[in-house]
Amino acid sequence: MPASKRRIPVSPPGMADPHQLFDDTSSAQSRGFGAQRGPGGLGYPAAAASPQEAFLADPVSNMAMAYGSSLAAQGKELVDKNIDRFIPVTKLKYYFAVDTMYVGKKLGLLFFPYLHQDWEVQYQQDTPVAPRFDINAPDLYIPAMAFITYILVAGLALGTQDRFSPDLLGLQASSALAWLTLEVLAILLSLYLLTVNTDLTTIDLVAFLGYKYVGMIGGVLMGLLFGKIGYYLVLGWCCVSIFVFMIRTLRLKILAEAAAQGVPVRGARNQLRMYLTMAVAAAQPLLMYWLTFHLVR
Amino acid sequence: MMQPQQPYTGQIFHPTQTYTPTTSQPFYGNNFEDEPPLLEELGINFDHIWQKTLTVLHPLKVADGSIMNETDLAGPMVFCLAFGATLLLAGKIQFGYVYGISAIGCLGMFCLLNLMSMTGVSFGCVASVLGYCLLPMILLSSFAVIFSLQGMVGIILTAGIIGWCSFSASKIFISALAMEGQQLLVAYPCALLYGVFALISVF
Repeated sequence: MPASKRRIPVSPPGMADPHQLFDDTSSAQSRGFGAQRGPGGLGYPAAAASPQEAFLADPVSNMAMAYGSSLAAQGKELVDKNIDRFIPVTKLKYYFAVDTMYVGKKLGLLFFPYLHQDWEVQYQQDTPVAPRFDINAPDLYIPAMAFITYILVAGLALGTQDRFSPDLLGLQASSALAWLTLEVLAILLSLYLLTVNTDLTTIDLVAFLGYKYVGMIGGVLMGLLFGKIGYYLVLGWCCVSIFVFMIRTLRLKILAEAAAQGVPVRGARNQLRMYLTMAVAAAQPLLMYWLTFHLVR
Repeated sequence: MMQPQQPYTGQIFHPTQTYTPTTSQPFYGNNFEDEPPLLEELGINFDHIWQKTLTVLHPLKVADGSIMNETDLAGPMVFCLAFGATLLLAGKIQFGYVYGISAIGCLGMFCLLNLMSMTGVSFGCVASVLGYCLLPMILLSSFAVIFSLQGMVGIILTAGIIGWCSFSASKIFISALAMEGQQLLVAYPCALLYGVFALISVF
């Protein structure tokens, strides 16, 4: 009859097997196990005082770590795949392919569009050329930066009038964004109702409508420096410029066939389109005034 | 009658494997002497941190594109804390604003740089670069502890420091992402971000 199997917890410090997750107390032979391991165990001075290392070394936890990292990689893949469904990243990249020369010339065009002759966007095998190479192409860098600068300048203006608080900044941002969305939807609806065949995409429209923020920033900054007179002067100038800019740009997109030959606009269909273009262009100065007059006192 | 059991010679999760001390270990050794130094394990490399700091502090020195290959967030964390600490010295308890603005700013720059560059960029890289270039802003806020910045000298100093920060940040981004002709375009959003930090320091 073998001796009673008393479970003896054995954890010889210098002899623990580093792969062992816990002490093996499954049999009374654990003493024998320890004894058997003895010669081999003395071969390496184990730091079993660190069971954490044994934990990290264990194959199960290796597997767990590998599983965790593969899960993270899968999650990232899923996000990347799905974000392309909601936000067309490759299309957006076209609008950000700009360089400093383009931005400088475009800003000049926004403030002084009267001398520019050729407003047609150049094409290269059915795709429009990147904004870097053609000043007439719309981009999203200027509208995006102008929007953010407008919010910051609004904060600055409110701060100089001691009316600043961070939630007012959020209020400004959301109201400007709401007006932009409303404009885009209204124009898309009218384009649909008038059955205009145009290659004007939604992102193009957002880009064109975002150009007015540049004039707004100019007006508010002048208003901060020189008071109401400066504000009205600069805002007036920018309103007229953006009106001309929008008319000349949208004419080519909405009234494509008629404007290409430069013939005067005739016929009910073309007239309606001309009215739409004028309405869009006229809405810009109105919105520019509406969104900035409360910032300048 | 119980039969004598065999001594257990295997390991719990391996069917039959006799452990030998000479098999290669997937971990850093079980000896105290075999462990790597703590800083190497944490990934903090003081030499690289110092090199990156020097690159930021010399705005006219040409940056090497490869220094940003390893994203290191330890340096930027230290700089953010130091910025908050200098603000604290001036009596402004605004750690929350600093962290919030840096998070939003990093996110915005990450989206913009991914859209503008040919190769993408990881969020850690953007956060690391923007954090390192916060260093001159710490100078500004420590200056604000002693003198008030709301005067002509203060405005000129603030504008200079914002320009310094955004110039170095755009220089590192341009060299790391190989974007040509876009340095001013990258510097402008960085200037907006650092301008908000400067607003916190000044007002």
